[in-house]
Amino acid sequence: MAFLDNSGDIILDAVLTDTGRLRLAKGDGSFNITKFALGDDEINYELYDKNHPSGSAYFDIEILQSPVLEAFTNNTSTLKSRLLSVSRTNLLYLPEIRNNAADGIAENSTNGIVSVAVDQSTVDALKDADGNLLAGIIDSAELDRNTTDKRRLLFDQGIVSNALGAIGKVALDADLVETQYIVEIDNRLGYLADPTTGAQATPSFIDDDNIASYYLSLTTNSSYFSSATLTESSVISGPAGYRLSLLVGGSTNLNSSTYLFTQLGSTSQITPISTAVDLYHIDTTIRVTGATTGFRVDIPIRFLKQQ
Amino acid sequence: MATTFKTITANDTTNTRTLLHEAIPLTGTIASGTYSDENIKTFSHGMFESVYDYPYLSSSANHIFDITHGYSANSTLSSSAAIQNAKKINIYNQMAAVLVGHDATGSIQAFDQDGDIAGGGTKSEEVFFFNFSRLLTKDEIKKDSFRLTLATGSVSGDLKGFPLTLGDYGAASSYLVNSPAGEYGVLYTSSATPDPASGVGLIYYQAGVAVVSASVFNGTMPGAEATASILGPGYNSSSYSNLATGSSIQVLADSIRDRIDNITFNNTVELNSTVYFCRANNNEFNYSSNPTYLSSSQIRVKNTTSDNPVSYITTVGLYSSDNELLAVAKLSEPLKKDPNTELTIRVRLDY
Repeated sequence: MAFLDNSGDIILDAVLTDTGRLRLAKGDGSFNITKFALGDDEINYELYDKNHPSGSAYFDIEILQSPVLEAFTNNTSTLKSRLLSVSRTNLLYLPEIRNNAADGIAENSTNGIVSVAVDQSTVDALKDADGNLLAGIIDSAELDRNTTDKRRLLFDQGIVSNALGAIGKVALDADLVETQYIVEIDNRLGYLADPTTGAQATPSFIDDDNIASYYLSLTTNSSYFSSATLTESSVISGPAGYRLSLLVGGSTNLNSSTYLFTQLGSTSQITPISTAVDLYHIDTTIRVTGATTGFRVDIPIRFLKQQ
Repeated sequence: MATTFKTITANDTTNTRTLLHEAIPLTGTIASGTYSDENIKTFSHGMFESVYDYPYLSSSANHIFDITHGYSANSTLSSSAAIQNAKKINIYNQMAAVLVGHDATGSIQAFDQDGDIAGGGTKSEEVFFFNFSRLLTKDEIKKDSFRLTLATGSVSGDLKGFPLTLGDYGAASSYLVNSPAGEYGVLYTSSATPDPASGVGLIYYQAGVAVVSASVFNGTMPGAEATASILGPGYNSSSYSNLATGSSIQVLADSIRDRIDNITFNNTVELNSTVYFCRANNNEFNYSSNPTYLSSSQIRVKNTTSDNPVSYITTVGLYSSDNELLAVAKLSEPLKKDPNTELTIRVRLDY
């Protein structure tokens, strides 16, 4: 993907995305543009120099010189960070979404990544001497067995700093509290599940690249949310919003076949007790985006299947 | 309420139609000579031949036009003794049916010299057809842009002798609309003689077909040699009428192909566009969800709460109501956005 020529007037390079073309081809009226968003994917705000000796006109001189890439047609590859409208201009802090690996599931100590055992034989092979599935691995054979937060993905929203006050003491501005999340996962590999029952969630839609998007709302998916805004968290120390909890299951494709593992994945070993277990694995990413603020977090995840 | 989207209302969209033109120059050497005829594709059925811009066996080759010849069953040349007589009539009838249409009795009408079909008049009963590829003509040929230069003199000596340039002179304001294949104009030999009675062919703009009367080779056209011959090398003693009855369509196509000096026209692409005006008011889009925007949740571009927030726009995304990204537009350089600025970004999608 080339850079755009920025030597003259500002030009606009517009393309339909692959999803846009797909919907246009369907001819069912689903190609209907109703809103827009602005993005700044190429911008590195670390280049903003508030202490530039030449004055404020030079604070963003490096940012304004950032070259901009041509438009991607892949709908999931662009507009990863959107600009945010808040009518107030006096905000100094904005809430983030953080994966809470301290209170929730953390990376498996052997492979360094949160993992999902896709079938019962894999779960059985990865048990420790006490007969418990190793830490950092979700039991996808029966998701309702993941009964503790240590088997769930937790995402806390709030201000990381306590400059505005400590968590539980000062409330996060109501208009910045996330009450709806968009969770994206490769639908060929896995699915989201209710953290309390293990019941499989229904994706809101699956795009042409097999990326499933799940819309989780506080009002209609309350079991995914904490019952109230957080009063304590290992990753948020300031005003906080809700905690989002998730379970991830392996797809039927992964449960019943090694096809995708051989096509997309690799092999590795984990030694739960003394004997190494040979495994297939596929690495992917789960993206959690706040529908209100647009902040997001990407969590790498590994699906495991015993060879 | 914080948000990253803004609704596009009916006042933020408009539709436009734009006509784009490209100049298409086809030199005669492409039709004959440059590639030793390896760019000429012939067919066992012998109904036409195709001209490519490169040897046609190459995947890089593009089809640019076809040439064929036909005459009416009413032509004086039509005879059971003529070579490929039926095929020449079939070609004429097929093209006439598509381009001229049928009369009230269902009979195929002949090509009319001046396009006044209802008024009768002279019919063009022996014609060459140049069927241009859609790759070149796109949506249509621009009126008053078609020029075809043919060498109409005898071959002996200079192959390209006695060139005649046929063109749809004045067609921008005097084209005809009584064809089932769309608009068409009359070809003349000179811009000084756009008298319908002097027409030597027809150019169908949307169909991308030029119909050239064989009369250009009868030696009576202004500037033509009195003892004209259309033939290419090796056939220079034959007149058109001898060739039309004594040779195949392929030989006729080869012959006129060798006499092409130049073809030029402008094509037309009709762009239908929807323009979306993406308006960012002073109090909108001043913050960012960019991962580098915050440092321990503090906005990097601000020191105090009284500082204005700043963001930089590089991308515009157009979304459906279910938040699917349907189109994306990139700015060529970052655009600063703060509470002191309002922007309207005009995104045009062409269909």
